[in-house]
Amino acid sequence: MAFEFKLPDIGEGVVEGEVVKWLVKEGEHIREDQPMVEVMTDKATVEIPSPRAGVVARILVGEGKICKVGQAMLAIDEANGKPAPAEKAPPAESAAPPSAKSSPSAQPSPGASASTGTAAPATPAGKVLATPATRKLARDLGVDIAGVRGTGAGGRVTADDVRALQSGGAPAPAAHAAAAPIAIRPAQGDERVPLRGLRKRIAENMALSKRTAAHFTYVEECDVTDLMALRARAAARAQERGTRLTYLPFIVKAVCAGLKKFPMCNASLDEAKQEVIYRKSYHIGIGTATRDGLLVVVVRDADRRSIFELAQEIERLVKSAREGKARREELSGSTFTITSLGMLGGVLATPIINYPEVAILGVHAFREQPRVRAGQIVIRQVGNFSISFDHRVVDGYEGAMFLQEVVRYLQDPTLMFLEMV
Amino acid sequence: MGPMRAARKTPVVIPPHLRVPGVSDEELAPALGLYQILLPEGELAVPERELPALEPAQLIEMYRGLLLIRTTDERMMALQRQGRIGFYGEARGQEAAVIGSAYALEPEDYVVPALREAGAALLRGLPLRAYVAQIFGNANDVAHGRQLPCHPGSRASRYVTMSSCVASQLPHATGMAWAAKIRGHKTVVMGYLGDGATSEEDFHVALNFAGVFEVPVVFFCQNNQWAISVPVTQQTASDTIAVKALAYGLPGVRVDGNDILGIYKVTKEAVDRARAGGGPTLIEALTYRVSAHSSSDDPSRYRDESVTAEWKQKDPIARFRKYLLARHVLDEGADERLREHVAGEVRDAIAAEENVPPPPIDTLIQDVYAEVPAHLREQLEEHKKSRS
Repeated sequence: MAFEFKLPDIGEGVVEGEVVKWLVKEGEHIREDQPMVEVMTDKATVEIPSPRAGVVARILVGEGKICKVGQAMLAIDEANGKPAPAEKAPPAESAAPPSAKSSPSAQPSPGASASTGTAAPATPAGKVLATPATRKLARDLGVDIAGVRGTGAGGRVTADDVRALQSGGAPAPAAHAAAAPIAIRPAQGDERVPLRGLRKRIAENMALSKRTAAHFTYVEECDVTDLMALRARAAARAQERGTRLTYLPFIVKAVCAGLKKFPMCNASLDEAKQEVIYRKSYHIGIGTATRDGLLVVVVRDADRRSIFELAQEIERLVKSAREGKARREELSGSTFTITSLGMLGGVLATPIINYPEVAILGVHAFREQPRVRAGQIVIRQVGNFSISFDHRVVDGYEGAMFLQEVVRYLQDPTLMFLEMV
Repeated sequence: MGPMRAARKTPVVIPPHLRVPGVSDEELAPALGLYQILLPEGELAVPERELPALEPAQLIEMYRGLLLIRTTDERMMALQRQGRIGFYGEARGQEAAVIGSAYALEPEDYVVPALREAGAALLRGLPLRAYVAQIFGNANDVAHGRQLPCHPGSRASRYVTMSSCVASQLPHATGMAWAAKIRGHKTVVMGYLGDGATSEEDFHVALNFAGVFEVPVVFFCQNNQWAISVPVTQQTASDTIAVKALAYGLPGVRVDGNDILGIYKVTKEAVDRARAGGGPTLIEALTYRVSAHSSSDDPSRYRDESVTAEWKQKDPIARFRKYLLARHVLDEGADERLREHVAGEVRDAIAAEENVPPPPIDTLIQDVYAEVPAHLREQLEEHKKSRS
């Protein structure tokens, strides 16, 4: 007969754990107390020893999977010798017992997978969950508590449920109804415009990014006095080539150099596969304001272009985007995005990541500021850079190091020659 | 305090800030040094004549005490991971501090434990099955499942149930010792504590009153260097824990917490002095919590486990075993048989207690009130009705 080992509460109040590693294989003999699996909970990673001796008949939860407390993890065939006959793995529902029958809304759907099944503890049929105060209320009001449909946590009968039944009203509505959109009260003079087109896409993308990525923003000041001097010198040459040289090409160049040192900032998180994808190309998106809304134009292989080539490409892309002529591939496929409001750059912002990228750089206004250099107050050109990261992939330390690297290039732009291709 | 000085290998350097009027080097040295008899490889740090007077049978009894608590702890941690018990806190690496100190007591003495002294209860006669029943919280448990697992108490063994609150047991120990003094009983009370307890006001209250009234209590601090996740370096700025005793007018002694003979010797002297009316002592046993704080804890999240690995090399049981083998008190065969016997005892106790049903529901009320109040009786009746 196969003994099923169910994940116990191995901490205090643990509800689930991730199977880190199986230390036994199906068909393998196992001794009592032999370590069989490593499980990581929110409190600790622990090794679970086998409670029985026998043969591992079946491993029911794979490595990397979440196992609920009470869910069967493996079956051990205690009958000495042969592995267990091909038993069907137990259905997910048996792993996580349904909650009290008095709370139909809490029943897992028949197709629910084990990892999404409820971990509510088993409630013996007929037992009503209620606090002593609620029980007393029911007694005092002459209400049979067993006949009350509980709407509280885990199907618990609340005082309101008891009162609702006593007053002859219908049982209280289920507590788990999905959150409905907030009704907006109309006011005189309002104009309602349908959300569609680019506005709708921006709305969806921004909400998706905010909902999905764990945003954090880091800001650093950059002394751009030297960069300004370099640009002033180079501007004339650019004009000869018919190009207007802004700061953006320099920033793109510095970002590419920084990304090569900190590859986790040029990445994406594949949630379905639970893998981080490190991008090996450097397609830099540039946030561009157009009449219809924000577009991101993409400078492909920015790391392989000279400052002048970058300037020309950015100018071309921005122009075609503003004229509504940008092609689809010129508006997609970026691996990292820069957003700049030019003269409206302000002091700082908290940019929203261009999901599924993991970082976005905000460029703010460059202004003359008094600064202390070598003990003297001097007038310098200073601007802030704010960068938002997806903390699921990029930690604060790495993110900060990345921005510091970018700032270092921009403060001393001659360093960028060292990274040139 | 005198004998400790002779046993030190190297003279203790007294830091200038501790040179204060009224405190002599003779008082400071034992509190700042580290008394040792058995070194990690089982060799002696002292001349033969300083060895405590213990017969071979007594040495084996102590060794068996070490093995019993370690084996029980190992099995209980496995049972916890298997979901068969709810919680456990093991004493791994600290067994010598527990057994060496408790062995210095007489049966009529009292033990007021902190957390990891269950081995002392077993040494003092608490049946293993009673301990295991307490862990399962079953019908055989005298506390009927009201205490956390591994928090036994035993009237017969004069082992007070653990409080779990940090340091709250210490004023009890002082009070019990004061009662013994008033009644003229020759009993000694051993109050255990951890390094974390020294930050609590109860520690101050207990040591202060014990010193003022010169009561027969011995405070035994297992300094395992971790109060859950707080290291001892963040617990106190004192040079040692033992030196705190001097402020209360008591002797303080620091001893290697993994050296069972050294621990026994300093504790025996303190217990004998207390029994003879010489007042209290604070002993600091310097050891290390090589395990997690409890089954709910993962120390790799907050400390450098390479330090733990170093302390595992100083294992107190391995050290004592080497000594016993070298002295021919024990041989390999006898050691093997003793270990098997202890493992069998633990296995049998678990097998016997695991399937004992939980305490009857009536005990929920019965043990608490001499006369059950009407409202509780009513609740109980209602509960039984709903079950029927």
